[in-house]
Amino acid sequence: MRTGPAVGHEGIFHEAAFYASDEEFLAVVLPFLQGGVAAGEPTVSIFGGHRQQLIRTALGAGSDVVFIDGGAHYRRPAAAIRRHREMLAGYVAGGATQIRITGDVPHPGVGVPWEWWARYEAAANEVYAEFPMYGLCPYDTRTAPLEVLDDVRRTHTHVVTADGQRQRSATYHAPRDFLATAVATVPDPVEARPPGCELSDPLPAHARAAVADLQRVAALGEDELNGLLLSVSEAVTNAMIHGRPPVRVRAWAEPSRIVVAVTDGGPGPADPAAGLMPAGGPGGLGLWMAHQLCAYVSLWRDADGFTIRLIAENPTL
Amino acid sequence: MRRTGFVDAVDGLGRHDHVCWVFDGPEDYLPVVARFLADGLEGGHRVVFVADGARPGDLDGVDGFAAARAAGAAQVWDLAAYGGAGPVDPDAQVRAYAAMTEQAIADGFAGLRVAANATPLVRTAQARAAFARYEFLVDGYMARHPMSAMCGYHRGELGGDAVAELAGMHPLARPSSTALRLFAADPRTTTAAAALAGEIDLAGHEQLRTALARADLTPVGGTVTVDARELAFIDHRGLALLAGHVRDRGATIELLVGRHGPVSLLAGVLQLDNLRVVAS
Repeated sequence: MRTGPAVGHEGIFHEAAFYASDEEFLAVVLPFLQGGVAAGEPTVSIFGGHRQQLIRTALGAGSDVVFIDGGAHYRRPAAAIRRHREMLAGYVAGGATQIRITGDVPHPGVGVPWEWWARYEAAANEVYAEFPMYGLCPYDTRTAPLEVLDDVRRTHTHVVTADGQRQRSATYHAPRDFLATAVATVPDPVEARPPGCELSDPLPAHARAAVADLQRVAALGEDELNGLLLSVSEAVTNAMIHGRPPVRVRAWAEPSRIVVAVTDGGPGPADPAAGLMPAGGPGGLGLWMAHQLCAYVSLWRDADGFTIRLIAENPTL
Repeated sequence: MRRTGFVDAVDGLGRHDHVCWVFDGPEDYLPVVARFLADGLEGGHRVVFVADGARPGDLDGVDGFAAARAAGAAQVWDLAAYGGAGPVDPDAQVRAYAAMTEQAIADGFAGLRVAANATPLVRTAQARAAFARYEFLVDGYMARHPMSAMCGYHRGELGGDAVAELAGMHPLARPSSTALRLFAADPRTTTAAAALAGEIDLAGHEQLRTALARADLTPVGGTVTVDARELAFIDHRGLALLAGHVRDRGATIELLVGRHGPVSLLAGVLQLDNLRVVAS
């Protein structure tokens, strides 16, 4: 049975909250968590250090809330979706009729590009739809940029305020509409420089070799480099099999970082959620892999065709 | 330990080594044969040169070869030794070389070393299939017995795909001949049924499919173990193809890999149900 605002709802009940102080944050999150625990529902809190500590202190010891470190959990949306789905399936198999999860995804206010998290927030409405999930996503209006807050209203069906007022989001977009039109890609600063290598219609092996050569400048960790090479190979393969010529690979390197853009003349994947889930149409699995193996992945379409930009960087950066 | 990898020369190969030498003309084949066999003679092996229409004195220009031939240490055979123009019988051919190896040992040699230009034996797809199967089987024999061989294939006569299919069944090959190799694992270092090495991507998926069919790895206790420690790269389609081949035999595939590397990274993301990765 669903409880709280999700009574009578099927699938994910996706709610956003906006706060501007620790008190407002707790005013929204505590009732959410306490309501879940009181109803005997699996109740999960996924925040980084300060906010997680606020909650722990407020709830005291032995609260029955499951705490997961948000920093590691929200590093890559495809990995977060995979873990959430495994967790949700496990709780449902254990008999749960509602699972409450609250957490905050990163955005430029905390130094992380918004693009793939915007895609995550939109896709969440589909990729968790098969589960009785009640998700609460609090955003700090002191740090989140206006365009992020705008996207949050467009990707959450409901908004709750610190005084407990709850309403449907007037600007909510169907996920597919949002994903197809609303996600803006921000150029990476290195793209303003001439690329360290540029290839036309390369074989996957040639693209891998050219990118591996940039390791002289980047000195990436072994996993970071291998993850990038796997992703570059998949991107070039997708471009050859599913895209249209010409296929162009450009790559830029700086210490601890390599950026690779693979462009083909085609329209790109038809599924706007491609990359976030292992399905996702032709080439979807390779895209999904890249989303888990790279530090950041961007997708865009322009007059040149479809581009996937893969970024690998050492985690200390 | 037998050597594996890509080589530009055949110098110093040991008594279990099996090298594929894809060549473009006699000038980059015969001198290499001479070197390979001279090394064998120096190591106390019986050496055999096999080529289409070969005559006994063909290698007598090589230092010491004529004397070795007179003493029974060196032999030159016409390719008819492989049973004429029809596709080779893989098992029978392995038995023939096993008998020759045992004879060499019985005659007091350290082992048998063979250099063969097998180009005329693999001109059709059917003949190539049988010969690739033979290459894999004889490689398993060489891994366990003192036989070493250098298999020559003419690229111009056979084409790049055909020579890749054959070179890909050798532990040692020239870098330009094949990107991937599937061969017998070294029984001294692993219990794996075979070793997979090199790089596998879009350009090699068909070759991998063919190589797996030729090798026809038999599950042991429901598992096929493959030594992938020298597999430098495999993409998701390649890994899925490999796991699918073994799944079709109702088995699980166990890949031996290095602790860090793209194979374990990829396997961790894909989590294929019948793939187990063992890092060492």
